[in-house]
Amino acid sequence: MEEWRFIDFGLVDIRDMMAMDEAILKSDEGNTFFFWTPKKSIILGFFQKAEVELDLSQCKDYTITRRISGGGIAFSDDRCRQVNYGVVGTIDNALFPMDITGSYKQICGVLIDTLIHYKLNAAFRPINDVVVDNKKISGNAQTRWEGKLLQNGTLLLDFDIEEMLRISNIPKEKFMDKKIASVREGLTWLDRELGEQRDMEEIKNVMKKKFEERFSIRLKSGSLSGKETKLTEILLPKYYSDEWVYR
Amino acid sequence: MEIKTSQGIHKSKGGLIRSFVATENGRIKEISISGDFFLFPEEAFFKIAGELKGIEAKREDIEHKIEEIYIRENIQSPGTSPADFTESIMKALGV
Repeated sequence: MEEWRFIDFGLVDIRDMMAMDEAILKSDEGNTFFFWTPKKSIILGFFQKAEVELDLSQCKDYTITRRISGGGIAFSDDRCRQVNYGVVGTIDNALFPMDITGSYKQICGVLIDTLIHYKLNAAFRPINDVVVDNKKISGNAQTRWEGKLLQNGTLLLDFDIEEMLRISNIPKEKFMDKKIASVREGLTWLDRELGEQRDMEEIKNVMKKKFEERFSIRLKSGSLSGKETKLTEILLPKYYSDEWVYR
Repeated sequence: MEIKTSQGIHKSKGGLIRSFVATENGRIKEISISGDFFLFPEEAFFKIAGELKGIEAKREDIEHKIEEIYIRENIQSPGTSPADFTESIMKALGV
């Protein structure tokens, strides 16, 4: 059986993680599946503007960076109950389709299989969301580079709606209760769906197994190569720079 | 000479597009587009705002220019079309 590399980066500073993310895509170490959990942070999508999306005066204790893929803000509160994943794969029209929505659907299938394992009514909602009973539980973002794709996504285990609205660039005084209620209707997280906190390692192990089954491969634990580590060091200043984050 | 800037927001199937546009004598003077959509290749996106500067602030001209950039740069943007970007810009223009 084919073996792909697996890495669990654990709890990370997202600036370091986004540099490693880009380095894995742009090196040539083969198909890779990896996990990380972000410390308190905000990741902007490639096409977003910080001052348009965020109330920056409320974000002082957040680490903010930008990723190389499009889509919306990835917000992580200090509860740190999110499983983030990355997949780097060669687009082969079999396991990783050329068609963008098709490739989202294929990788999001891992999350859906994981949620079904927990007896939840999970489905793919094009273009890039996974929903449980029509509530978003996972956002995903993909970019491509020289015949390869990089997809990042998150599985929410817990989520602080009030805190997310507090840092968002929206008028706050009025209708706050209504806004919380409306986000609560459109978004959900695993702890809420299951009515209890499951161990994060257990969830990651289920995801890993579902990934292996879906792609008919075996994941083998590894680490960054020397080339990837070097490229990460070259990329790091970008992710720490105001020019990149506040452009 | 009249210069005005305002924000236009349009939601496409692929995401929210926010445009800020300033015009001068009927032409686009300054333009900034942002949002949570997806577009490949990402770097080609900057050509859209760059090349809209100076053109007439008319729907047909704007949409035509964006379509031209899409073809030339081989842009793909699932759920978002040149017409969606145009709509967001027209909203910023108050049309």
